[in-house]
Parts: sequence; structure tokens; C-alpha cells
Amino acid sequence: MDLENTKAQMRKGILEYCILSVLSKNSCYASDIIRELKEAKVIVVEGTLYPLLTRQKNGGLLSYRWEESQQGPPRKYYELTAEGKEYLADLDKSWDELVESVNLIRTK
Amino acid sequence: MKITVSVNLGGYSFNIDEDAYSDLKRYLKNLEIHFAGEESSSEILSDIESRMSELFRQKLTGYKQVINITDVREVISIMGNPEDFSDNEGPSPKEKFSTPGAHRMYRDPDKRIIGGVCSGMGAYWDIEPWIIRVIFLALVLAGGMGVLIYLILYIVLPEARTTAQKIEMKGDPVNIHNIKDSVKREFDTVRKNMKL
Repeated sequence: MDLENTKAQMRKGILEYCILSVLSKNSCYASDIIRELKEAKVIVVEGTLYPLLTRQKNGGLLSYRWEESQQGPPRKYYELTAEGKEYLADLDKSWDELVESVNLIRTK
Repeated sequence: MKITVSVNLGGYSFNIDEDAYSDLKRYLKNLEIHFAGEESSSEILSDIESRMSELFRQKLTGYKQVINITDVREVISIMGNPEDFSDNEGPSPKEKFSTPGAHRMYRDPDKRIIGGVCSGMGAYWDIEPWIIRVIFLALVLAGGMGVLIYLILYIVLPEARTTAQKIEMKGDPVNIHNIKDSVKREFDTVRKNMKL
């Protein structure tokens, strides 16, 4: 068994959920999302984020707008759509259930 | 003294050392291959380029105006290689292309003389194309059947355009690694040709 691989699989499973959670607080541009995910240590290489963001946007969970920036070219700010908020609420519930299930098994 | 290249990355212009440029170009090409099966691959790539451009800008100061190979390697290690983010969702690179190890006959445009039929057959059976050319020529001289067969094959066989098809034509298993090798080979050939 490869421990690092198992850990990576666990992280990947929750990454999508984490992106939506980050965006539920504020609309952000990709580098803000990266910073939060890195602080929480749920992402290792940044390249993982961009295909996920695009898939979530194509799936109707996110929308984006361009905003001017003083430090460079305009930035893409992502935010949750109404559908994305509902989706996140569902994930929140299922996350709580998962944590409960795992705790139940671990403490039995 | 080093030659620099000027590139536009994410809407920003950078001066970049030649060796760093070839690493960067190869990396972006690998990403392009990796995301080729994705619905919005160009959007993903342009998002990644914008982020890389932002990381490169942080490396430049008033005294340092050129991106060097260390910068490129650092930024690539921050972004990660396609293998590092291959299995998070969607098709894995193996499924994205046709069945691994598939062996199909194509026309080979790289070694063609007329339409690439003989070179494609040569690549498929791993024999020298001239042997097949001699057989065709003999068939042509023996009553013209060769022309007809050639035309039919020309119509039936697709041309090997993509890297994956070129690998399939030769019968090597198609995976991200030998595509990378193949792209690198092509890249090196182009570089060699440009130097001549």
C-alpha cells in the first residue's frame, strides 16, 4: 500500500468541496482560492485547481466576471451561482454525515 | 551573454532566456496534450498561463528583468506536472486517447512520397517503406493494378495527424510518457532544423 497515494486520493476527493466553501464566503480570483487552499494544506500543485474551476463553471455551479487590477491584467473573479449554493449545502450535509460515520467507527 | 526570447504569457510580455523558453514551451505543450480531451481545454490553459504570468512577474525586479531557467523550473514545480494532477476527475490520460497499445494502419505524412500510403504500411509492419514501394511499382508495371490499390488505400486509410495517432501507427502503447517522448523528439528535430 502506498500511503502518500491514499492521502492524495483523500485530498482530491474533498478539493471540489473546499473550492465551493472558499467561494461561499467571498467572490475570489484564482490566486486567492489557491492561497486559502494552500494554507489549509488541501492542495499541493496549483495546476489541479484550474480544470476543477472550469468544470464547476461549466456545470453551472460557478460564474465569473472580469475585474480590473492595479497589479496587472484584469482578473477573473469567481462566485457561486444559486445552483452552486444549493450544491454546497448538500455537500455540507454529506460532509457532516461522513465525519459522524467515521467518528462512530473510530470510537466504537 | 545569452540570447533572450520575448513571449506573451497571460497578456504580459516577458523577456526569457532561450533555454528557459524551450523548457516553458515543452511544459505548456505537455499541458495542452493532457487537457486535450477536456471540454474547455483552451480556457483551462489560458487560466494556467495567467497564473504563471503572475508568478513570473513576482520574480522580476528593477535589477532582474529576464526570466531564467531557475524561474521557469520553480514556477513549473508550483504548478505541477500533468502526472501530478492526472487522476482527480474525468478520464485518465490513458482512456482519453483510444485503447492503449492499439495498432492501426494510417498514412504517414512525415515520410510520404505521394500520399503516405507506403510509408504508413511500412510503419505498421515495421519494415522499410521502399520495400512496399517496390512491390507497388511492380504491380503498376504488371498491368496497372497498383494504381487502383494505391487509390483505394489512399481513400480508406486516415492520415496520422495527431501524436497519439502516430504512436498507434507504430503500435507502441499510447500513454502520456511516450507522447511526451514523441513530442520531445519532434521538438528536438524542429530545433535542429532551425539551427541548420
